[in-house]
Formats: sequence, C-alpha cells, structure tokens
Amino acid sequence: MSASTALLVPSREHGWKMGLNNFLAKEMAAWWRTRRWWMQCLVALVLLNGTMALNLKGGSGFMNAAMAFLTTAGLCVPVAAVNLAQDAILGERHSGTAAWVLSKPLRRPAFILAKLLAHGLGLLVAWVVLPGAVAFLQLRGYFGSRLSAPGFAGGMGLDYLNLLFYLTLALMLATLFDSRGPVLGICVALAWSGPMGFIIQPMQRYVPWLENILPWRLMVDFSRQGPLAGYLAMGQRLPTVTPIVATVLWCVLFVVVALWRFRREEF
Amino acid sequence: MDATKYVIETKGLAKHYNGMQALKPLDLQVAPNSICGFLGPNGAGKTTTIKLLLGLAQPSAGTGRVFGEDIRTQNDEIRRRVGYLAQDQRFYEYMTARETLRFVARFFYEGTNAGIEERIAETLELVGLADKADRPLKGFSGGERQRLGIAQAQVNYPDLLILDEPAASLDPIGRHDVLEVMSRLRKHTTIFYSTHILDDVQRVSDTAVILNKGALVAQGPIEDLLARGQAAAFTLTVKGDTDGVRARLQGQPWVTHIETMSKNGSVTWRIAVSDPDVAEAQLVPLALGSGGVTVCEFGRNHWNLEDVFMNIVKESNHER
Repeated sequence: MSASTALLVPSREHGWKMGLNNFLAKEMAAWWRTRRWWMQCLVALVLLNGTMALNLKGGSGFMNAAMAFLTTAGLCVPVAAVNLAQDAILGERHSGTAAWVLSKPLRRPAFILAKLLAHGLGLLVAWVVLPGAVAFLQLRGYFGSRLSAPGFAGGMGLDYLNLLFYLTLALMLATLFDSRGPVLGICVALAWSGPMGFIIQPMQRYVPWLENILPWRLMVDFSRQGPLAGYLAMGQRLPTVTPIVATVLWCVLFVVVALWRFRREEF
Repeated sequence: MDATKYVIETKGLAKHYNGMQALKPLDLQVAPNSICGFLGPNGAGKTTTIKLLLGLAQPSAGTGRVFGEDIRTQNDEIRRRVGYLAQDQRFYEYMTARETLRFVARFFYEGTNAGIEERIAETLELVGLADKADRPLKGFSGGERQRLGIAQAQVNYPDLLILDEPAASLDPIGRHDVLEVMSRLRKHTTIFYSTHILDDVQRVSDTAVILNKGALVAQGPIEDLLARGQAAAFTLTVKGDTDGVRARLQGQPWVTHIETMSKNGSVTWRIAVSDPDVAEAQLVPLALGSGGVTVCEFGRNHWNLEDVFMNIVKESNHER
C-alpha cells in the first residue's frame, strides 16, 4: 500500500452513532452548499410574507394580518416539510443511494437521525426564522411596537413544533410505505383537514378530544378559539398546553417508529 | 488478514421473499487473496447473496461469516473492512468525483485531511479519473461512473472487495482496464465479483461459483471447472452435401452428440465422442468418404468457461 496509509486514522465511531458525523455533514452540505437553501427561503418568503404583504396592503388590521400569517404558515409549512422529508427517505431508497451508503460503516439510526437533524435545521431557518423575522418587521413597520419580540418568537416556536410534527410524521411514513402517494396524502390530509368547517363540526360532536391531541390548534384558528401561536405572539396566556405536549409526544413516537422500521428495511 | 480459513463462508444461507425462494441453502467458501467469479443467469440469486453478506438484507435461514464475523450480528465490523460496488451504482449527482470519494473515505477514516486527500488522489489516478476529479457527476458517462464505483469501493483499502457486475456497462477498453485494476489489487485484497462476462472470469479469476435458480450448482478452481465432466469433442466444418455425412457420423457408436451451426454455406458440427483416439483418426475420412463434401476445418475442441457454464446450467435445469 502507499505512503498515505500511515496518515490515515481509522474512524472510531461505534454503535448507533457509527457514520453519523460524516452522513450529517453530507446532509448539511446538501442543504447549504446547493441551491436548496435559497430556493426554500425564496418560496417561504413569497408564500408567507407575500401573503402578509397583500393583507397589509389591503388594509387588514393588526390582528387580522398576524392571524393570516400564522394560518398561512400553519397550512404551508407542513407541505414544505413533508415534501422534503418523504424525498429524503423514499428518494434515496428508490435511487439506490440508501443501499450504497448503508453498505459503508453507517448505522441505520444514524441515517434517519442525520436526515432529521439536517432537514430540521434547514426548515427552521428557511420556513420559520427567516419568514418569522420578516413578518415581525412587516408588522412593526405597519403597526409600531404593538408586538413583543419574545412573544412573537414563542409563536414561531409553535410554528416550528407544528413543522416538526409533519417532518417526523413524513419520515416515519416514508419508512412504512414504498411510494410517495400515501406519505403525501396522509400528511397533507391531516394538515389541511383540521381547519375545514365541514370536518370541525362532526369532529367536535363525536371526538371532541381530537383537537387537543393533534397539532391543529397550534397555528390555525381552530373552531374560533384562536391559534395557540397567536396567544403567544400577542403576549397572552395560553388557554391550554395539552396540544403542545401531545405534539411533542407524537414527534417522539414518530421518530421511534421510523428508527424501528428502518432497522428492518431490506434493500 | 485473520487466521480464518475463508474470507467468506456460508452454511445453508437462504433467502425467501413472500414465499418465493430467491436463494436456496448456499454453502459458499472464498479463500483469502483470491479472485472469485460469481456466475449465474439473471435471477440466479447473485445480488441477493451479496446483499445478505453486506447486511442489506437479512437471511431467512442459515449462517454466513465474513472474516469470521457473523453477517447478522457483527455486520458493522464487516462493513469496515469491505468495499462494495453495486450492480447499478448510484451517486449523489451534485457531488464531484473527488467529493464522492471524500464522502466515502470519511466513513472509514477521521483526523486530518492530508492522508485522505492523498488517498483520494491515488485512487483517482488508479481508475483513470484524475483529470475529471472536480467535474460534477451529472456529466459522467456510464464507463466513468463505473470507474468511480470501483474507486469508491476500494478507497478504504478493503480486505474484501465485493463487485456486482463491475464491467457490465463498459466498452472493451474499459473492461480491460477494470480487469487490470482487479489484477493489481489481488495481492492486497480478496475480490468476490459477479459477472455475466465469462471470458473475464476465465482471464482473471482463481475460482468460480455458479448459481442457477437460487441454488449452487458448481464451485471450485477455474481449472477444475474446465475439466469437470466434459466429454472430448471435435469441431468439423464442411461444405457440400452434408445431410448424408451427418447421418453417417451419427451412426458411429463412439459419437455421443452432434451440435450443428450453419454459416455462409458451410456447416460446423461440434461432435462429442466417447473415444477421442478413434474419433481423431476416423472423423475426416468418414466425412470425405461419400464425396461431394469439402472439409474446411477440423480440430479438437477446447472447452472454455462459457461452454462449461452453459452445460452446468443446462444440466441443473434438467435435474429440476
């Protein structure tokens, strides 16, 4: 062998972390060293802040403009998260790159966790922090200092929790299904069914507890109670924390199921 | 290298998918520092076997060991010492060849970049991609991708190189280069590779394993396989009124089988015989005996691996 062998230090990563650092670095590079980051930022700004700009230009009041922003985020952010997450798993499985990297010293939990961390960070910046900061400046620009920065940041925190719910759900479904249809269909149906009037009424009659264990109330004005993110943004006390706790638990469950299922996957 | 006798050893290794037997119980042995050709028709179970060895699929029955490590429970250690080229190798298209090798190398090595970069440059040189190292993979031809596939498979100085159809998409020059690289690597590593190109196996391999319909039908050194159960045969090419000659030859008690091929007005017979000495003395006189026939070519048949492979596969098909 050549002289370079002497300079090579074998990797010491073992257990579930084997290959995590390298694969995470590759996933981060796929976000930040390609056009993906600015494309996502651009789409988020156009959709979320563009909608708010139209609202403000149309003469909406402070409350309506803020609620319109939160509602748009509540409906659009899940789609962005699901679209990226399902492709992260199914795209790699279908193209054969997943089998390739898993033939190297990379553990399957590390594969899933690297995807989750890289997409979680990328989506946080592109779909939460950047449009949230711009929205804050837009509202400040129109209405002065009626909005507190910490409260608005709290609202954006719930926006991110909502995003994480759909990100982890899509990752889990992508390990359970072999095609994109069910993954996209289930996630989008779940994200958009909550706010629809024809679903709310029967749901409140027959399964009233459902709104408390799903993330709908975080971002959308569900059954005219106002979104929880709105309470935080306005600096008000939350009427309930049950949907927040439930959403966190769902995220943990989805990740556990994804890790379990992917461990059994055959390529 | 470990003190284990075989680099790869399986006992009754089997795999079924939804009730379909993709691999019947397989007993396979691959010796250290050998080049082992893994042969079989499409769907014979070659890729399934490779995936089982790498932990990409789980066996339904049996056991397998690579470097003495269990393929079910110690697969992490196996993958640290193996280089693998998939049948239809895919890469991340936004990376360059150098970035791809760096990405793969970082699974095996840590610390400073100097050693890794030197190793990458050396590997790119070995497969003839040094001048294309910083081009995005999007523009790579099939042959260049295959070279990169081989490069990434051996960037970690593997003790075992598993190549699934390494020369499949290459032109004759590319194929020659791949075989050359394999020959150069043999002193450092064991190479286990599947292929359909039997000529390549005969040129570079020490041993061959033949699968058919998920079952092992032959395994051993190339010379043993070439000698295995082959009856003596002769090739006779004639022109003219051949029907009568063929009937006369078939009537000889020492002729066991005749295969006929026609081309450009001449007929070539491959004649399997039970007594080669008698056949060598009498075949041409018998052909010329009735007149009206010209003998263009005559000689003892030399079996190649393709003949052996076809015979073994046909035999195993008849046995089922």
